[in-house]
Amino acid sequence: MNGEDQIMTLNRPLLRVQSFSRRASQAALQALQYAVLIVLALIMLVPFVWTVSTSFKQQSGLMTATPQFIPNPASLDAYRTLADRMDIPRLIFNSFFVTVTGTTGQVIFAAMAAYAFSRMVWRGRDTVFLLYLATQMIPIQVIIIPQFILIQRLGWVNTYQGLIIPGLFNAFGVFLLRQSFLTLPRDLEEAAFIDGANRFTVFWRIVLPLSKPALATLTVFNFMALWNAYLWPLFVARREDVMTLPVALANLAGSSRYQGSVEWNVVMAGAVITILPILIVYLFAQKWFVRGVTFSGIKG
Amino acid sequence: MSRKLFALGIIVALAVGLVPTTSFAQDIVTIRYFNFTSSPDHLDDLAEIVAAFEAEHPNIKVETSNAPYGDYPTVLQADFVGGDPPDVFELEYQTFVNYAANDVLLDLTDYIDPDTPYYPRALEAFQYEGKQLALPETFSTVVLFYNKDLFDQAGIDYPTADWTMEDARQAGLAITALGDNIWGIKAPIQFWEFYKRAAQNDCHFFNEDKTESTINAPECVETVETMVRMLEDNVMPDDAEQAAEVSGDDKDFFLTGRVGMLVSGIWMFPLFEPADFEWDITVDLGMKHKGSAFFANGIAIAKSTKHPEEAAAWAQFLTASETAARVRIENSWELPALDKPEYFQAYLEQTPPDNRQAVFDSLNAVVTLPVIERQTEMQDVIGELLDAVVAGELDAQTALDIAKEEIDALLQ
Repeated sequence: MNGEDQIMTLNRPLLRVQSFSRRASQAALQALQYAVLIVLALIMLVPFVWTVSTSFKQQSGLMTATPQFIPNPASLDAYRTLADRMDIPRLIFNSFFVTVTGTTGQVIFAAMAAYAFSRMVWRGRDTVFLLYLATQMIPIQVIIIPQFILIQRLGWVNTYQGLIIPGLFNAFGVFLLRQSFLTLPRDLEEAAFIDGANRFTVFWRIVLPLSKPALATLTVFNFMALWNAYLWPLFVARREDVMTLPVALANLAGSSRYQGSVEWNVVMAGAVITILPILIVYLFAQKWFVRGVTFSGIKG
Repeated sequence: MSRKLFALGIIVALAVGLVPTTSFAQDIVTIRYFNFTSSPDHLDDLAEIVAAFEAEHPNIKVETSNAPYGDYPTVLQADFVGGDPPDVFELEYQTFVNYAANDVLLDLTDYIDPDTPYYPRALEAFQYEGKQLALPETFSTVVLFYNKDLFDQAGIDYPTADWTMEDARQAGLAITALGDNIWGIKAPIQFWEFYKRAAQNDCHFFNEDKTESTINAPECVETVETMVRMLEDNVMPDDAEQAAEVSGDDKDFFLTGRVGMLVSGIWMFPLFEPADFEWDITVDLGMKHKGSAFFANGIAIAKSTKHPEEAAAWAQFLTASETAARVRIENSWELPALDKPEYFQAYLEQTPPDNRQAVFDSLNAVVTLPVIERQTEMQDVIGELLDAVVAGELDAQTALDIAKEEIDALLQ
């Protein structure tokens, strides 16, 4: 054995130990990452779990000194009370109707406006666009009263059109879609024009299909915003026949001046019913949602 | 061509949408009634009262709508700003003054039957500068709840209608002695309790013509000191001690059976039903004399209504008819503000508590809220100073001296 060999033989196990420890430390790092992520995920989940769990509790199990995650005894009382007090199917229908028509309308109008702002040439276009975009900076609390007065004079209080129409025109959507349209190659449209397509065909058959990710993002954003909308529906939809879920939910929690008498299990049952539909929509639209976010991230 | 058609289509669609949907019925008058107390528990009960009213008045239709308690004032205000308020609507006693001062309420003096048996005190609450601007709809009072089991264990007599704060402190000492985590009383130290105790002790917030505050007078200082003494003697837990015992509020604290007495409203009755100890109520504690806190909701009519007669008929039916009273009492939907003992028989027979009569006995002496134009600011100032006294940062005299200065400024 010469010295080199000796070193080799000495080195080999050392190397193995080293690579083992590197692998071990990588695994440990990964475990740590997962541990942190799991803890964060749990923290995010706790309020939701608590909501669901409370909705299955009885009035007596609400305020125990040690928090109960598994309701004991579990009961459907809260859901029964809720069904007694409110016309749940009607409320769900109202929420869906307003959200779906509102979202559809918003996306259609935003796409048409965005096309005009990005592809058509007319005098003052960019000034108008900037002015329009500036409306995005005004918080809803400022315009809600004038807007309400308008709707009131039209006799639209407690109507679906009062709920839906004011929300149809939204600068954010126009901005988002305009940015997306600007990135599309003009050549595609020009080719279509040469083939004899008119503006509407180009818009409908070329621009819109190519902008699916942006349209999907906008749809999901609008859907969530409309589903959860509270302030405007509170003003214009006060009768149960047009009321939406968030307002009905607030009615549950805030029917009295006496905080002590809020039945939290019933409120939480209402919250679960409000969350469920959007959760289902979210599960199906998740792909579009994620794709949309990355899409706008890259282009932005 | 197609573009023109498209534009035409949009114009037609907008024009159709712009035509307001009006009813073409000719002889039927529709009254819009806006409220916050019916949802979510009493929508059916309200519908029953409406149906009974419409049966009696076939030419009037009542259209009801509601908003959550917290947002109701905002929405109602928006209706007034927009110039199209509901014909008839609910107002809390505390917010009534604002509307009355703004001259937007119809004077009901000529519309109501003077023989309607409203509680005089409740009727007065909704008068403003000699005009009857709303009708009392319901009332509630604040009473003294007590845990009979703890009084038995301490071997002392139950509270009676003529107990004072000092009597409660003595009893509280005996109950507190029962154990480390048992207290004698929970009597919150905040604005609403203070104005009541102040009135009981002849402490006036201002002089007669409301030009100057007198809130630092010796009677007022004594009031604050009496309230805080409960804490100092450890007859009442401070917030930290209470939080260590129970999550939740005073209601949950009483339900745990750790406190002998609780000053709270009669709306607690159904919530205390599941208690696993015996409890009852009596008229709230007094100081120099008795005086109970009194809350009321009123029914007002917008001055701008096109149908004052019909609106007043509904307001009166809702507040004073036998049907409305019966529906409310049967469904525990607050208490009608009517001096008609026969209506309340069913209510008095329910237990617990045994001594429901105390709810009505409380009305023999009620205190009125001291009201100024800048009401909310005054309440905030006093509330914050009381907090400082509770925290031991200020003594009662100093706190009330500051309160006087600040209220003087608000009165300018």
